[in-house]
Amino acid sequence: MAHSLSPECTPLKHEYDACFNTWFEGYLEPAIANANTKGHSQSQRIDYSKLKKEEYDRKCGSIWAKYKDCVQKAVTEKGLGELLSQARQENPLREPP
Amino acid sequence: MKFFSQSFLYDDPWSIVSLAFFLRYPNPYAAHVISCDVIDRHQTESGSLLTTRLILKRGALPRWAPQGIISRAESWVIEESEVDPFGKFVRCRTKNLDHVKVMQVEETQLFEQNGDGYVSLILHRRVALTAVPSSRTVQTTEAYITSKFGWGMTKRIESHGLARFKAHVQRSRQGVSLILDLIRQARLQPMALGSYITHLHSERSFASSDTPASSHSPDNAGHTPEEYSSPTTENTWLGKIWGSR
Repeated sequence: MAHSLSPECTPLKHEYDACFNTWFEGYLEPAIANANTKGHSQSQRIDYSKLKKEEYDRKCGSIWAKYKDCVQKAVTEKGLGELLSQARQENPLREPP
Repeated sequence: MKFFSQSFLYDDPWSIVSLAFFLRYPNPYAAHVISCDVIDRHQTESGSLLTTRLILKRGALPRWAPQGIISRAESWVIEESEVDPFGKFVRCRTKNLDHVKVMQVEETQLFEQNGDGYVSLILHRRVALTAVPSSRTVQTTEAYITSKFGWGMTKRIESHGLARFKAHVQRSRQGVSLILDLIRQARLQPMALGSYITHLHSERSFASSDTPASSHSPDNAGHTPEEYSSPTTENTWLGKIWGSR
């Protein structure tokens, strides 16, 4: 499964995955560092979230845009667009609890 | 409709298991996963990461399936996941997008930290209790298996689906354990884990590019499973239920 649904997107996928995996490790850091993270206040979480989002955009933003475009094109070409949007409408995870 | 539920305890901290979950492809148990793409990813204001992935899986039909029940032995699967590094849980829902009428399997996985523990330390000749992060993770899997096929086949299809699903849960756990081992080893390396795993992925010779569509050769580790099933979630249902031939 080291492939993308369209061969031309595969190198973009690899580049994006590498960027994301590295960022993700850092993203999980609050969980690693703290024994009890449930005690964090909402504002701490929001601040952290902004920090991480900026980092993600900075490091992976451009490759994500290219990869996403390529995948969207491939999805449309394969006619999966409607199937996907139907499934995503039923998404129960849209809002965090 | 058939329902399945099971919990499993990993002897690794939540952060490692979550990382293993996101990095689980490719691996020897998932040779039937043809492609996997992230189609959406964003962070909520409170810091949770929501991801949507589109996965293509190859499968084979059971011998008793009527001819032409499915036009091709491939299925698109959507995986939607949420990671909360503060609440320390990963929630993930997987379901197939096509062949829905024949059978739809909707699988939900939840990975949570298994409660924090305490150790007593002797500090300055006094005993103090200090909280330590729990080093274990609970994985809860639930699946709904539904067929709307009719023709008197519905119950048979659902039962078959459930039986295969159950039979391969153990194998999927072995897959996760494999990835967890890799991650633990990688943590001893100087380079960042993420890039190490990506480096491993690109080198692995069991990547599906070498596998012809119609055969499933034994994986490099010397196992010859009849069916491949991935460590967790989405690609498990197809591999488990239809199997590989």
